[in-house]
Parts: sequence; structure tokens; C-alpha cells
Amino acid sequence: MNKKRGLAGWLIQQAARGAPPLLAERLEEEWLADLAERQGTLARLRLAVGCCWATRVIAHEHCAASVAATATTTGSKTMIAYARPDVSLFSRRTISVLLILGLHVVIIYAFATGLARPLLSKLIPPIIVVPMPDPERHWDPPPLPQPTLSANKLQVDREPVDYFPPPAREGLEAQPVLPQVGPTLPVSPELPPRVAHREGGGPGKGFPHTDDFYPANALRLGQEGVATVQVCVDEKGRLTAMPTITQSSGTASLDDGAMKLAKAGSGHYRPTTEDGRPVSSCYEYRIGFHVRKDGR
Amino acid sequence: MGKQERDVRISLQTLRVLEAFLENPLNELAGADVQKRSGIASGTLYPILLRLESAGWFVSRWETVDPASVGRPRRRLYRLTPGGLTRASEVFASFGRGVLA
Repeated sequence: MNKKRGLAGWLIQQAARGAPPLLAERLEEEWLADLAERQGTLARLRLAVGCCWATRVIAHEHCAASVAATATTTGSKTMIAYARPDVSLFSRRTISVLLILGLHVVIIYAFATGLARPLLSKLIPPIIVVPMPDPERHWDPPPLPQPTLSANKLQVDREPVDYFPPPAREGLEAQPVLPQVGPTLPVSPELPPRVAHREGGGPGKGFPHTDDFYPANALRLGQEGVATVQVCVDEKGRLTAMPTITQSSGTASLDDGAMKLAKAGSGHYRPTTEDGRPVSSCYEYRIGFHVRKDGR
Repeated sequence: MGKQERDVRISLQTLRVLEAFLENPLNELAGADVQKRSGIASGTLYPILLRLESAGWFVSRWETVDPASVGRPRRRLYRLTPGGLTRASEVFASFGRGVLA
């Protein structure tokens, strides 16, 4: 029978022994009967732990009631007599506390070492990732720029050429030579000169943020402005010359911040490309300093 | 019991226990039954049952079954006394049933 009751039954028996003697036997039988109706180890353990606590409360109330009933007649000696069971309960309480602590240690150890993983996999179903279809986007690519090729006709000024006939040699009659007017090379307007597709550079990936170079005093004073900076950049996005301010923002400190930002961005510039091939070039771009509403 | 019912400290848990008995005052309930109906933890329930019994609101007796034939231990059954029923009704009348809603 005891084996069938297990740990919960043992706990209840121990708890009932800590109850007042008149109630101990009754409580043990009553609690074991209630334990028999519990299904599941956890529910049985909860009942057993609850009975341990109930024993403590019952013993405390029984002791207090007995003391209150007899104190007026027998004095403090009775209090000592009834205080003993409470002292003996201390060891059981200590055992209960140690059991609870041990249970915590077991649980923490199980979590730390992964022993609880099979249990958790049963309690918590595995997360199933269902890929959601992308929302349909109707994105029309921007129209390609129409080539602005124009047939350049080579204009040649037809100027009269003075003709000086060569001196007639002996034995040869002078042959009349028709004067040639202008070059006779044909000009084909159907083959326009090739124009390289050039795309200008600018700040590229990893370029420093403007906020990091906002001068503190200008920010404090709420000064804003836009400075235009010219930079010369090689094929790898690095500065090949010192940047220059081509159009001031109107505030010296903001121009200074723009210069620092332009220098700090060396290596992060997007070079100009010709037919997709990066080339060295110089170009201008604008750096704006604006105070945000949140203070930056 | 024939003794005078004493006052009991009425807590929310005590009200829940009384409510479980007041559903049918003539029923006898074991501790497990009361726990199912009231949802109170066993550590709180059994002291309340003993407190109400010692105050004369409840009486209890052992179930009259043969443990060997039913295959389980006999249970302790609690029942409201007439005086306990009156006191419990007074308590609920003073508090109002709404407190347990």
C-alpha cells in the first residue's frame, strides 16, 4: 500500500504525525483517502505539500486555542507544555523546506542540463514555421531614359581653292585638271558617335551619418543649413584630393562639419561609372544639417 | 453536536468553502469534493474545515463503507449543521453573493 502511495503518501504520513495527537490519526486517514482520489503525480504531490502546510496551521491554531483555554487557570506552565509540539514541528518544517529546496535544485538542474527537454517538448508543441506568401506587388519599373542620340552632320565649308596648274613638262601636254572643291570623303549620318552611359557618384554604403558630424554648438543654437561639397573620388570611392565647399551653408560651423563629414566618408563614396565601370571623377553633392523635433 | 456555534474568522477562502456546502446543504462532502468545488489548495482547505467543525458549523463522520470492498480508504464526510447553515446564510446575506462572482 505504501509503495502505491509513493512519495506523496509518505509526505502525508509524516505531516499527519506533526499534527496534534488527537487529530493525527484522523487527519492521516482522511488525507490518504483524499490522496487516493487524486490522479497524476503532480496533483498528488501538491496535495501532500498542502497537507504539510495544513499540519503546520492546524498545530499552530490548536496550540493557541489550548493555551487560550487553559492559561487563566494553570498559568505559564501549560504554555510550555503545549509549546513543545511546535518545537518538535520545527524539524519537520525544516525537512519540508529542505524537500522544497531539493525540488527546486532538481528542476534547475534539469533545465540546466537539458534533461527537461523531452518533457518540455511534450508540454510545449514544436513551433511550426509556415512561410507566408509574399503580397503581390505591382511594381512597374521606371521607364528607361530614351537615348538622346542625334545624327551629327559634318559641316564642311566649301571654300574656293585657288588652282595653280603645274608647269608643263616637255613631251607632255598639259592635261586640264578639274578643280576639286572640298574633301570628297563621304559622311554617313546613320552612324552617330558613341556616347558612354555615365552615372554620377555620391555617398555610398557605409557613409557616415550626418547627425554624427552635426556641430554641437550649432545644434544647441538650432542652426540649420545645406552646404555643397565637391569631392574628387577614385574608382574605389576614396578621396583623391581635399574636399572643397563650393556653396556655403551660411554658417561656418556647419561648413566645418560638412568638410569633416566629407573627409570621413573617404572609402565610402560611390564612384562615377561609365558603362558600369567605375572611373575617377569629381562631383558635388549637398550635405544638409537639420534639427530634428526630438532634439537631434 | 448540540453545542453553541462560535464565531469564525471569515475569509474569502472560508466563503468559498461555505458556498460549496450551500449548493446543497444536505449533502455530505469529503475534503476532495470541497476542493473540486471551491478550488482552494489543500493547505488552506483542511484548516478551514477543522476550524468550522470545531466552531460547530460542521459535523463530520467516517464514510460507512468497507475499504476492502470499494478498494479505497474510507473518507471523512462533512456536513453543515442547522446552526452552521443559519450562520453561513447570515454571513452571505451580510456580504452579498456578489463577492464570489
